[in-house]
Amino acid sequence: MPDIEFNEEDVLTRASQGDRDAFGLLYERYIDRIFNYVYYRTGNLHDAEDLTARVFQRAMNHIQSYTDRGVPFSAWLYRIAHNLVANWHRDRSRRQEIPISDVPVLPSKGDHPEKNLVRSQEQDALLRFIRRLPAERQNLLILKFVENMSNAEIGAIMGRSEGAVKSLYHRTLLALRDQLGDQKINLDSD
Amino acid sequence: MARSRTTLSDEQRYALEAHLAGTLKRVTPPLEVVSRLRERIHFPQSGEIVSRFRDWRRMFLVLGGVMSGLVVLITIGRALYYLVGRKQV
Repeated sequence: MPDIEFNEEDVLTRASQGDRDAFGLLYERYIDRIFNYVYYRTGNLHDAEDLTARVFQRAMNHIQSYTDRGVPFSAWLYRIAHNLVANWHRDRSRRQEIPISDVPVLPSKGDHPEKNLVRSQEQDALLRFIRRLPAERQNLLILKFVENMSNAEIGAIMGRSEGAVKSLYHRTLLALRDQLGDQKINLDSD
Repeated sequence: MARSRTTLSDEQRYALEAHLAGTLKRVTPPLEVVSRLRERIHFPQSGEIVSRFRDWRRMFLVLGGVMSGLVVLITIGRALYYLVGRKQV
């Protein structure tokens, strides 16, 4: 992040008045998060790049319509991303699916680079299962584990109560446990 | 591992969460991707934006100075017109 005090409210006001530099600051702040979300939802680096660009273009074109009603700007961006990813899946359903294991592994933050070169078979299997889950469950897992968000924050993005998110999370874990158990993937050790 | 349809033991939950945390890690978008995205959306480089924001106050002072100067010149021009120009007409 650039060395400048970031007052999101002020930057948002300027961006909504058509200040491209202010929107550029928002872009710098959120590019990583939106890219991560789209990357895990698509499992495809090229489409992640394309969709991330479209998220910010759409946000820039509609920033005047963004009004702060207690919903964070990030939630608004994630909703745009969610809608674009949903359209992408709809368009793509007629075409052949690229398995996520074929996609180059991107370096994770905080890990030794060599550790990122190989994804374990278990991780590949888990990613495949996750991508077969309904969209809202995928969103939940990505926001919880990739973005480290609380249930309340996830609820704000998904338009659900904190309790509903907690319940959805529990059901998602049950589904994953059953699927991983059927594939004989060991859940007893890490 | 004993399985129940609707309940998760603490061990199962911890194991699943550990697997998920190990798999769903935040990735770093390649620099060329971030750069291409910036070009595609026509955003200036972050350093450029920061320097513009830093220069904001100076720009404001310069602009204010120029505007004040213009107002003074217009006032002098109008005064000369009333004093000299009108007599000649």
